[in-house]
Amino acid sequence: MNNEIKDSIDTAIDSIKDNNNVYPTGRVTKVNKYNVEVTGLNDVSFYEAISIDNKASGYVMGIYANKIIVSLIEKKEEIIPGDIVYALKKEFKCSFSIDSIGKVIDIFGNDLIAGKKFDKLTDIRIENKTTPIMDRTNVNEELLTGISGIDLMYPIGKGQRQLIIGDKKTGKTQIALDTIVNQKGKKVICIYVAIGKTKKEVKDIYFELTKRGASSYTIIVASFNDELPTRTYLTPYVATSIAESFMLQKYNVLVVFDDLKKHADVYREISLNSHKTPGRDAYPSDIFYTHSRLLEKGAKHVCGGSITMLPIVETKSGDITDYISTNIISICDGQLVLSAKNFAKGEKPAIDYGLSVSRLGGNVQTDDMKKVGSKLRRELLSYLEVREVYELANIDEMSKELQKKLKDGQEMLNKLKQYKFSPRTKEEMKNDFAFIFNKENVEETNNNQQNNIVEQANEIKEESQKEE
Amino acid sequence: MIGKIIAIFDISVEIVLETNQIKVGDILEVENNPNYRFEVVEINNTTAICISLDSTRGLKKGTPVKLVSHGINIEYSDKILGRVFNSYGEPIDKQELTSVQKRVVDNETTSLKDLNIESEILWTGIKVIDFFAPLQKGFKMGLLGGAGVGKTVLIKEIIHNVYASQNSNAVFTGIGERSREGQELYSEMKKSNLLDKMSMVYGQMGDNPVSRSKSVYAGLTLSEYLRDEKKQDVLLFIDNIYRFIQAKAEIATELKQILIGNGYPSDMASEMSKIEERINSNQNGSITSVQAIYIPADDLNDESVQTIMSYMDGQIVLDRKVAELGIYPAIDVFNSTSKLINIEKIGERHYNLVEQVLKTLARYNELEEIITVLGIEELSEEDKGIFYRARKLRNYFSQPMFVAEPYTGLKGQFVKIEDILVDIENILSGKYDDIDESKFLFIGKYNGQQ
Repeated sequence: MNNEIKDSIDTAIDSIKDNNNVYPTGRVTKVNKYNVEVTGLNDVSFYEAISIDNKASGYVMGIYANKIIVSLIEKKEEIIPGDIVYALKKEFKCSFSIDSIGKVIDIFGNDLIAGKKFDKLTDIRIENKTTPIMDRTNVNEELLTGISGIDLMYPIGKGQRQLIIGDKKTGKTQIALDTIVNQKGKKVICIYVAIGKTKKEVKDIYFELTKRGASSYTIIVASFNDELPTRTYLTPYVATSIAESFMLQKYNVLVVFDDLKKHADVYREISLNSHKTPGRDAYPSDIFYTHSRLLEKGAKHVCGGSITMLPIVETKSGDITDYISTNIISICDGQLVLSAKNFAKGEKPAIDYGLSVSRLGGNVQTDDMKKVGSKLRRELLSYLEVREVYELANIDEMSKELQKKLKDGQEMLNKLKQYKFSPRTKEEMKNDFAFIFNKENVEETNNNQQNNIVEQANEIKEESQKEE
Repeated sequence: MIGKIIAIFDISVEIVLETNQIKVGDILEVENNPNYRFEVVEINNTTAICISLDSTRGLKKGTPVKLVSHGINIEYSDKILGRVFNSYGEPIDKQELTSVQKRVVDNETTSLKDLNIESEILWTGIKVIDFFAPLQKGFKMGLLGGAGVGKTVLIKEIIHNVYASQNSNAVFTGIGERSREGQELYSEMKKSNLLDKMSMVYGQMGDNPVSRSKSVYAGLTLSEYLRDEKKQDVLLFIDNIYRFIQAKAEIATELKQILIGNGYPSDMASEMSKIEERINSNQNGSITSVQAIYIPADDLNDESVQTIMSYMDGQIVLDRKVAELGIYPAIDVFNSTSKLINIEKIGERHYNLVEQVLKTLARYNELEEIITVLGIEELSEEDKGIFYRARKLRNYFSQPMFVAEPYTGLKGQFVKIEDILVDIENILSGKYDDIDESKFLFIGKYNGQQ
């Protein structure tokens, strides 16, 4: 009861303040979707918070000699020229509550599942400066995904940025979710950032994670595709600011951005709407910087905390050489490429082992994993290179060495198959692939004949064709 | 006070001048707040357009600004050695720097009179470079590649092999690349006690475009100090020069300049020449530079890439298709070459071998297509020989690298040019026909293993 009275008095005082012009005011002169031109506000600072007549809020994104441009982040009602604009005398900030863990939240401190605001809110800056070079330390500690193909061959370290890239429906999000679930009991805070997703998708992910007990350490920061693009654009930055505050308190944080192609498209929309000159594929020329400054916030900090990032990028027809994909590949510390072809063949997770890269590699692995992983990768790639040639061949007519290579290769692929949410431990992985070290029982083939795999394979392939 | 701010944007501001003593290139600062600094890029009568060296967040209209200097000034003394700077020449390695002498980062390009182009070959110990595109003191070597094909690893291997073995000074300039790599290079150099002859400048990808476009000038100035004042042969590593043009494009967009295709600035070529024409050797010493060049969207015909390449004396092109096979360094041998591939420079033997190798590999590519249709048995005996030898050559050009030991688990190898030539002669002549091709993958020299 008391609170209610207090609230109503506060509101009354606020409105008196507004009318008395405690805040400087101006008037809307032009409305262009989410960009609003305002005159009369002279004493504002760049990025100052702005409120328009309780209809909308945003921040100052341009100051001209006789007007300012406000970018709207929230809009409840349509704005019309003449509306009163208040400058709020403070930097535009978002809100976050520590109670957000296990919840789906937006960047204003709302619990979206419960449909209300959190009680204890703290201000959070949209963006901080990236961690300086000398405040970083070597990325050398493993962050296990529980997926053999990743942890052994393309391992992820705490503070690494590893891109997950592939066509629609190749299991990109699934790899990220598997990784989140595998952090259970490992003192890692996970932040899943949904960028312009549908509400259905987000609720699905929320249920999946809750069902598997990941909610005690996971926050879902969501922006939906029916929201203002400016808000979708800011969401990953704000989520990263949240991650940074955890990192500076010495926590290890894992952030998933799902997905940055969508983010690039949203930013293109905003840029073109503000008449920025388009560059390649009509993206603005600072599209690289848009993502580089976001992903550069992934780091292992000298204080002991870290931010590991798993950005996701969606491609078309498996082309990872388009503009946005190559930009993000060039920012990240490696990429996991998912192939629709492998997915269709049932090789799940559908990782393309030839195109995937880790720039940190064995640096982030323990020695035992490194030993198995580097050998597995070499053997597998050499098997894949010649596989196509002897796929049609008759096994019985091959040399023993070739038979073993074929058998081992097939077994490697089989053991790399893993159903979703069925993580393996390091011990299991090492045991699974112990067989690649068993070479002794193979007799050396004589050297008179050239024991060239391709030649033999071709001979056999030909013979089998003749027989047909 | 020289004027007041009247307009503010992301990386630029407009200032109403109260004096006519301001020139393009001057550095201004908000009075009583050195966190806001600007460089004048345009003067229109009574107003100046400036780009902001730092973030403009929190700036207000009407804020008074003052003149600080005519251009960015950085340390120009022995104090630069072993230190790490940002694009504006401020130390970022958390150590004090007592200035002895400073110099502005702009400079004249080398004149035709002073330019020195004769020099000796610089062997890198990396098979593909020494064989296909050997380096000479004073050369500019471009390392071209799309995203994630191994440019940075190769540049680090050259630092490892050349800087560590030569007694020369080096400058590393990071432009728009990863901060993590900056930190790693610094700690590796420190750990192996190689820092005392090296200076580093970083304007990395988390920095605003103004910082990214300026770090190259700081790097050039440090190199010029080592060449002109210390009379040294200098190694200048730039990773990655494409990011300079990229940053310039962002600034041009912000200043509402008219852009050319793919959003590049129209003055790209002249801006590039002001940089590349400073990287030269003169009577004082040489500057050998290795410059990584990013290929956007894997498009080798990209206008900015072509502009940069026109200054290079040699180029190593990295190819995603080779990387996919797991062969590193993943070079495209047909596009990698240098001005030294000339009988007068490297001698007849080396030259002829390059020709033969390229011929063999070109034939291999044709044969591969035939084989996928007809099978290997349909080839003539001669073509079969070419086919297997080409595969051996392809494998032989892979190399375990010192800086890649953590990824590969293989020990790095430095290979002498004499050994490379002998090995290649033997492969081509058929001496190694009985040896399995896998024996040539990720090795140093072969002849010593028999």
